[in-house]
Amino acid sequence: MLMIFFAFSIIISLLTFLLKHKTLTNILPKLFLSAHIAVSFWALFKINQFDSIYYKFDALSVLLSFVLSILSVTTFYHSYLYLKRHKVSVEQESNYYAALMMLITAMTSAYFAENIAVLWISVEATTLLVSILIFYEHTEEALEATWKYLFICSVGIAFAFIGILFLSMTAGNNGITSLSSSKLIAVAPLMNPLWLKITFLLVLTGFSAKMGLFPLHTVAVDAHTVAPPPISAFISTTLMNVGFLAIFRIFTIVAQTEIIHWVQNVLLIVGVLSIFMATIQLQRVNHFKRMFAFSSLEHMGIVALGLGAGGLGYYAAILHLIFHAFTKASLFYQIGQVYQFFKSYWIKDVSGYFKLNPIGGLSVLLCFVSILAVPPSGLFVSEFLIFKALFVNEHPIVAVVVLALLSVIIYTILKNILHLLFDDVPTGLKVDALKVNPYETISQFVLLSLVIYLGINPPIFFTDLINEAISVLN
Amino acid sequence: MTYLFIILYAITLIYFALSERTKKFVWLLAIQGLILFGVVFFSLNKIDIFDFIFILLETIVVKTLVVPWFLNKVRKHNQLKREHEPYVPVFYSIIVVVIILIISFMLSNYLNDSQMHTQYFTIAFTSIIFGGYFIMIHKNLFSNVVGYLIIENGIFLLSLAVGSIMPIMVNLAILLDVFMGVLILGLFINRVGDTFKSVKTEHLSKLKD
Repeated sequence: MLMIFFAFSIIISLLTFLLKHKTLTNILPKLFLSAHIAVSFWALFKINQFDSIYYKFDALSVLLSFVLSILSVTTFYHSYLYLKRHKVSVEQESNYYAALMMLITAMTSAYFAENIAVLWISVEATTLLVSILIFYEHTEEALEATWKYLFICSVGIAFAFIGILFLSMTAGNNGITSLSSSKLIAVAPLMNPLWLKITFLLVLTGFSAKMGLFPLHTVAVDAHTVAPPPISAFISTTLMNVGFLAIFRIFTIVAQTEIIHWVQNVLLIVGVLSIFMATIQLQRVNHFKRMFAFSSLEHMGIVALGLGAGGLGYYAAILHLIFHAFTKASLFYQIGQVYQFFKSYWIKDVSGYFKLNPIGGLSVLLCFVSILAVPPSGLFVSEFLIFKALFVNEHPIVAVVVLALLSVIIYTILKNILHLLFDDVPTGLKVDALKVNPYETISQFVLLSLVIYLGINPPIFFTDLINEAISVLN
Repeated sequence: MTYLFIILYAITLIYFALSERTKKFVWLLAIQGLILFGVVFFSLNKIDIFDFIFILLETIVVKTLVVPWFLNKVRKHNQLKREHEPYVPVFYSIIVVVIILIISFMLSNYLNDSQMHTQYFTIAFTSIIFGGYFIMIHKNLFSNVVGYLIIENGIFLLSLAVGSIMPIMVNLAILLDVFMGVLILGLFINRVGDTFKSVKTEHLSKLKD
């Protein structure tokens, strides 16, 4: 099924790219989205089955694939609005959609990859494809961010590959002749702990550029800043999920061994450092998209803490990842609308949004309630569970330090958001030129409602999927 | 015979440290491609036709011919001749290569795994660390890509050192991925050169808080 989907996606993307026909550019992405949703449902019905020797529909990949399907629909919608407002040519529109469809295909391949080498190839493919979209506005800043993203991610992914080579060596010592995750998990207790430690460090460092985690988080921040808002939404959510999944696959292997506590300590350190860096950078930030990017760094740090805490933390980490994806995507879609009013992302230029666009303002307010993990946000539930896991598993100092840092982050973000919403409208702003259809905000309300609903009253199949995804860790 | 190739590879690394001309960097990369072919060809006891074609494709076609040809085009497009004032003088860079080589040798003896080929590991590790060092000491994007390719060559040697178990199709896909990466990086160097009239890294520092 996946091979058919990949072939279908490549053909559709090529047709969009080559034909550059207005009607086809409208129809083909819709066909692609339908196919992606069909794949997600197919994966749900065929859960725990192999699709080929390289792919498998496991619980985590099914969950993340559904997140990708949902966010693909909203991202295509906001991309359509973005392209319409920028009055781009059919040629530019075709290039944009073709690159976006190929990016989604590469991410789908990464989610379902059962073979670590195939996962690596898919991650590298996402880097190359997203660079086209980051550079879309062709500004000097876009060039800088694209170069940094492409180069640092390539070097990072090369280091992750070294880790995979070491993993293959120690697996080879135990008679394993493929890089299938399930086979590696089965022989993990027999592997050399030193090589596994080196593997994990290299993979964590390498894929931290994709996950937006310390130490290679800076390139993702720059990419968020310059990419079109719908693409920023993708980089900050589904693409970060790719990075998480790549690290999680190796984590599930090392979790079967005696070095698990060492690995968890590494994750706790990385988590705390990520949140610390986010706290420091947020004090200096003067650009809304950069502020959201550093907020993503903070949230990925919290996810790392969940894995590092263990037990209940595993469940909470995946919950947090999903809720963060929906909330952060809403924020980036909304900042795209804010830009239509102020023609700027700089904090000093943007204020009084509630007066200008009450529905959009309400959406911003809800987004911030959600992203700051204030009840009834689902992120409150996941963060609460992560802190519970930290206290229960005897990491009270980590919990207290992180709580202190989060207090500073909440204050900083709240200060900027109150400025955005309730300060006076800048003098000289051309109010008559402001037109954003209130219906454009529906997607944000739907995503935020999902975060609240899944947090307060999660359906059984949803919690079952998360529990199954982490069953190999417990 | 493989020892000869390993020594030759180490010499290319020292030449990288010595050189200041971008043209020489491209030549050295092409020579490394040839050496890698020699290393693989002479280290395999039995070689079937598919493996041979793959190795030929990876080392001779891609690493020795296509990538250097493409880098030369990029170099000419941006009128790059000499790498001005690297952050670290050449003399110190030579000392650094030697130190990395010694540390790699000690490390490979310390790790000494039954599955691992110690000599390959030494030179592979040296190449990877030196590639990182090369990126750090140079001030232009072209040299950064050269550093990235030195790391990639080191990883190629490392896969031999650890007796990689990846099937040929996966290897081929990885090669294509890296190849595409270099092409896209090269295209972006041209774009940076056209926009800023220079490919120095100092032009790429606008994005900050």
